[in-house]
Amino acid sequence: MFNLSSLVQKAQSFIDPTQALNISASDRNPAKSTLFRHQFRLPDSQTPLQEITAELTITPPVAYSPNATQGEKDKDRDRGYHYAGKLHLSESYLCFSTQPTSFLQTASTSTSSGFTGQTHGAGPGGNGFTLPLCAIRRVERLHSQSYQFALSITTWNGLSNHTNHESSKVPILQQKITIQLAGTRQACERFCDGLKKGLKSGVGEVGKLKRVVSECYSEYLLQGEGRKENRSKMRLWGEYLRDYGRNVTLIRQPTFHKLIRVGLPNRLRGEIWEQTSGSLFLRLESPTLYADTLAKFEGRDSLAIDEIEKDLNRSLPEYPGFQSEEGIGRLRRVLTAYSWINEEVGYCQAMNIVVAALLIYMSESQAFFLLSTLCDRLLPGYYSTTMYGTLLDQRVFESLVEKTMPILWDHLVKSDVQLSVVSLPWFLSLYINSMPLVFAFRVLDVFFLEGPKVLFQVGLAILRINGEELLDAPDDGAFISVLKSYFSKLDESAHPKSENAKLRAVTRFQELMVVAFKEFAGITQSSITEQRMKHKDNVLNSIESFAKRTSIRNLGPDSKRLSVDELGALYDRFYTVLYERQQRSQIILEETERRAKASRARATEVVNGLAENQIIEKGRVGLGPSPTLMDYDGFREFLAGIARWAITDSPSPPEKENAADRQNHSYFGNSVRRRETSLSPWGYGNPEPANHEFMQRLFQRWDVDMNSALTLQNVVTGLAHIKGKDNIMGSITYFFELYDDDGDGKVDREGILRISEALLFLSRRGLEGSLTPSSSMTGLSEYEAGNGGQLDPLQGSTNERFLSSVSAFIRRCFEYADPDHPQNQEDDASATNGHADSNAFGIGEDSDDEDEDLLDLGTEASPKKNKNFTGLGGGPPASGGPDSKSLGQRSASKAQSEAANAALDPSKPLHITLPTFRMVVLADELLEQFFESSFPASFRISDKMTTPGPSSSGSSLTTFSNIGFGRQNPPQNGIVSAGAAGGVVPPSKGLRGVLDNIVTDGMRVAAEVKRRMDEAQKEMEKNAVNKPDEDEDEDEAYDNPRTPGGERRSNVRSEDRDLLEGADAEAMSMRGQEGVVSEIKGNTLSPTAAIDAGRSRSVSGASQKIVEFEQ
Amino acid sequence: MAEATAPKPSSSVKLVLLGEAASSLVLRFVNNDFQENKEPTIGAAFLTQKCNLPTRTIKFEIWDTAGQERFASLAPMYYRNAQSALVVYDLTKPTSLIKAKHWVAELQRQASPGIVIALVGNKLDLTNETSGSSNAIGEDGDEAAEPEDDGDARKVSTAEAKTYAEEEGLLFFETSAKNGTNVTEVFTAIANAIPETSLKGARGPGATQSNANRAEDQSRVNLTGPRDNASKEGCAC
Repeated sequence: MFNLSSLVQKAQSFIDPTQALNISASDRNPAKSTLFRHQFRLPDSQTPLQEITAELTITPPVAYSPNATQGEKDKDRDRGYHYAGKLHLSESYLCFSTQPTSFLQTASTSTSSGFTGQTHGAGPGGNGFTLPLCAIRRVERLHSQSYQFALSITTWNGLSNHTNHESSKVPILQQKITIQLAGTRQACERFCDGLKKGLKSGVGEVGKLKRVVSECYSEYLLQGEGRKENRSKMRLWGEYLRDYGRNVTLIRQPTFHKLIRVGLPNRLRGEIWEQTSGSLFLRLESPTLYADTLAKFEGRDSLAIDEIEKDLNRSLPEYPGFQSEEGIGRLRRVLTAYSWINEEVGYCQAMNIVVAALLIYMSESQAFFLLSTLCDRLLPGYYSTTMYGTLLDQRVFESLVEKTMPILWDHLVKSDVQLSVVSLPWFLSLYINSMPLVFAFRVLDVFFLEGPKVLFQVGLAILRINGEELLDAPDDGAFISVLKSYFSKLDESAHPKSENAKLRAVTRFQELMVVAFKEFAGITQSSITEQRMKHKDNVLNSIESFAKRTSIRNLGPDSKRLSVDELGALYDRFYTVLYERQQRSQIILEETERRAKASRARATEVVNGLAENQIIEKGRVGLGPSPTLMDYDGFREFLAGIARWAITDSPSPPEKENAADRQNHSYFGNSVRRRETSLSPWGYGNPEPANHEFMQRLFQRWDVDMNSALTLQNVVTGLAHIKGKDNIMGSITYFFELYDDDGDGKVDREGILRISEALLFLSRRGLEGSLTPSSSMTGLSEYEAGNGGQLDPLQGSTNERFLSSVSAFIRRCFEYADPDHPQNQEDDASATNGHADSNAFGIGEDSDDEDEDLLDLGTEASPKKNKNFTGLGGGPPASGGPDSKSLGQRSASKAQSEAANAALDPSKPLHITLPTFRMVVLADELLEQFFESSFPASFRISDKMTTPGPSSSGSSLTTFSNIGFGRQNPPQNGIVSAGAAGGVVPPSKGLRGVLDNIVTDGMRVAAEVKRRMDEAQKEMEKNAVNKPDEDEDEDEAYDNPRTPGGERRSNVRSEDRDLLEGADAEAMSMRGQEGVVSEIKGNTLSPTAAIDAGRSRSVSGASQKIVEFEQ
Repeated sequence: MAEATAPKPSSSVKLVLLGEAASSLVLRFVNNDFQENKEPTIGAAFLTQKCNLPTRTIKFEIWDTAGQERFASLAPMYYRNAQSALVVYDLTKPTSLIKAKHWVAELQRQASPGIVIALVGNKLDLTNETSGSSNAIGEDGDEAAEPEDDGDARKVSTAEAKTYAEEEGLLFFETSAKNGTNVTEVFTAIANAIPETSLKGARGPGATQSNANRAEDQSRVNLTGPRDNASKEGCAC
């Protein structure tokens, strides 16, 4: 029989695709596979592989119990029922539905998961079946003239009593259905091939199926052991299940839905809930998950378990089943097991009530899977940590009331009654707690079949029926008591005074159901989805702003050092990074999977467009369990967003393209090409964060809980300590402590080198040409202010200056370092006492000059120079004779220079203390500024940072990277990672290893530098000769007024060059493990002797100064 | 505390309960009347209780919000149009005061502007100052501010909480839901502190303009009353 509706559906399936034009939002176009799963209530593992138009013919069972019933209803039986629809094949399911919805262009989750339109109660799946392939016993191809292709499918219906059927009086019923495929021969054959494959792999699952099915009451019912209670209803169900399949083999037909609407018999309730909600298929997929989970986590404790424990005695306490320890135990186990498999949700109050209700009709395992389906699909977000689903649906409910009952709504607004506080428990506990249980179960019967919209329909009906009384209720209290008394009278007659006996027999509950499903039939899943879409952002925003306020307030006293705006921005940045990373990794994962899949399967076999629209929604705080921990990579990304130095130098070519792409497409759409570009772990067009040891140290320092991840609290506290110090001593101390690994107040040789590396790392972008003047380091504002017009060269020069400052820093550090030997304790004291300090300041004065000299070095020299120092240790002072300046220094403090000498010997451990460090920093104006302002300011929290991005690193870094700064990086990183891997110092190589690395690297670099310096100097000298005046002008323009004249430049250059040579020497000597000092002396003298004269001239001036100061 | 005997103007006041150990407090308050709704708390429990003042009757409509942490995001629904709030902390748990402070900040920022907030430290019975007389509390409280000895479970000193409450302009009490110390006082003080003008459902024949004015005067006096009281009790100087 072709009934009319199937024809209509057929027609619709042709019309509908044309209606798809105006739908664009991703939310309305969820992935096809999602729709598919929702429609057929399948587990997430299933994807639609094939589909074909088909007609289903259900013939009556081959043999059926003669004593079952008279076939009074079944005139149609001879011909069977016919349904036109689509047949779908997934990995392990064969599904048929008369509902074409899920695969149309217009398809949405709502239409596929909800009861929509004129299906005559067919429910979301429409008429049809969801058949696990393992439940198919035999497939035959029928040779029929009228049909191209027809399959006859025999199922394992009645599997469990198959084994003992001999003892049973009931004959086995072979369930047979016929499906005619309508398609080209090719298409049909392809489908059959797929089916064959699926069936083969399904064979192994039969055991599982048997086990799962044995928990279904229908198996016993149909063996004739069903109880006599609920008789007439039970008989109807018995017949239906016998004729059209039970549990997994059930075929949905209109009668099925009618039977559910009139209320399930208690004994079948659990099973049908499981079937209609699809949790049965979850259980089929992993039948032992429940028991396994309990076993796995046995004895473990969690917050959720504590919370569960508190509520166990408050779950349907009036129900006798939960007054015994046994009942409580079942409840405890189900809730606990679920809290383990879904730790994000864990346990939410109200789940206890729902599960208690489920357990009345279900086994623990059944209830466990149904709870899972509830949380994941039917009540999305209801029980999440932010409960956004609950809030959203309350908002939706209010808007539906406003729309459908405007008068009541006006009254509510006027009397200041907030509806949602009244209706919230209805939704959250599925009416279980509001209505007497018997009626709540009736609501649940329909809810599991037809979906969440049932909750809204019932809620609206409640208000409609009580409308008159509610209009008289002036406040919350009265409102609540009206409804309370209504709920308590649901079993009474709705029309007690009616003359009509039939009408009198209608209970209030029946009336409620009629109003809900007739009067509010217009409330469909799609109208609810539409409302949800509309209110979603608002609700999430208010949850998020609440969460933000809350978490910012709870950040503790340290957060007070930052402004509220800064905290807000930090909060945003923190979670943006977390969520974006989460989203990205998911996309990458999906994409990888997709590619793997695509390469496996033939392209044509994959349903066209599968995963095409699969846009992973970016997580939001409001959506619930937020990731709260930031790992190191996330931290790098976080830093890259607030500090320019945290962006890597290595240019990533595709980024420009991405940026352009990003402008054109706000969302990545369907193009595979663009999807591919999105596979960068740092996301679309985001700058790639650097990975420097300093960042690791910062991360470790902030990670006070030592769990290798940062919370927002950690980040805020960490930043507050840097930014909130407001005094230079604080940030110097902070920096020092960062490198004081064992917290003993000492930083060793390696630490000193690392500090200097970090200083260079931090300054490399901030000091060097930023393309946006205003965003350059505030610490240098002094220079900017004076030279606003010539930013680029200026910044270039400040950068150089900073480099020389750093080199001076290293030198001084080694100079003033304290040896670790016990006999030098006294030196320790003298190095750190007041005398030494004052000296330090004196030297500081001097070194200003020197730094400014160094200023004039070609850019080429500067980075190298640092390297040389790094390699050298206390090179310059040790080079002795020719370097009169360091002689002067030495004379200034014998003890110190002795210490410095000691410092030269790598076999003699040395360290600097905080006072020394402080002294050395304060000795240099630039360093002082760096610690005073530019370092703290380099973390820019509030203002959106202008990402320097690849373009700036490309253009303005050229001076650097061409020369070797870039080249310097890889070995540097090598050290860093070695250090990181082995904790601080690679244990096997120790300090020497580190130094060796640096030194070898330095040598390589030095050669290159020498070449460039020679060139540069030639040019410089030429300039100096030709137009000295200009040169001086330039200097004054570039540098601050105290800059010495141009004539010294060449001298210092040569001095520096000297140092470079020294570096070479040092490197060699260290490699040879020879006496350091003598080697250096020998080396420095020879190749650069020619220039020595000039240099000593200038330097002697410097040393004079020192002497004067001392006097 | 029972039914109003004279036809005094009666009005309802919405009160939201936030914080730890709040339920027991309100149960103690309401139990006299046995209006408690017995359903387990989903979202919030709704309770009512009348409070008789000399000039009027206040009917408290109390929303006792659910205790579980995640229900906090539902709280705005309940305090949205509340005229008063009771923020309870457990004076044996310092963290609960931090949470209470959070709620106070939240209410001050998000709730209706004139909301009357009372900060209440509950579980006074767990301290060793269980004299039961409300007068003695202040003195005991001061003692407790000094280093504790002899097994006193108190972890939040009266002085600390009271200073905070004064800074924020909150009513402040320390109570014991267990033995009833100070419980009705809290609600009476709140009732007194609600300005007559913000009462919505002023029903009954007596609610004339003049009456309302008088009540307002009264309430103004009373408004400062409890705070003065509290400071007197607290300082013990």
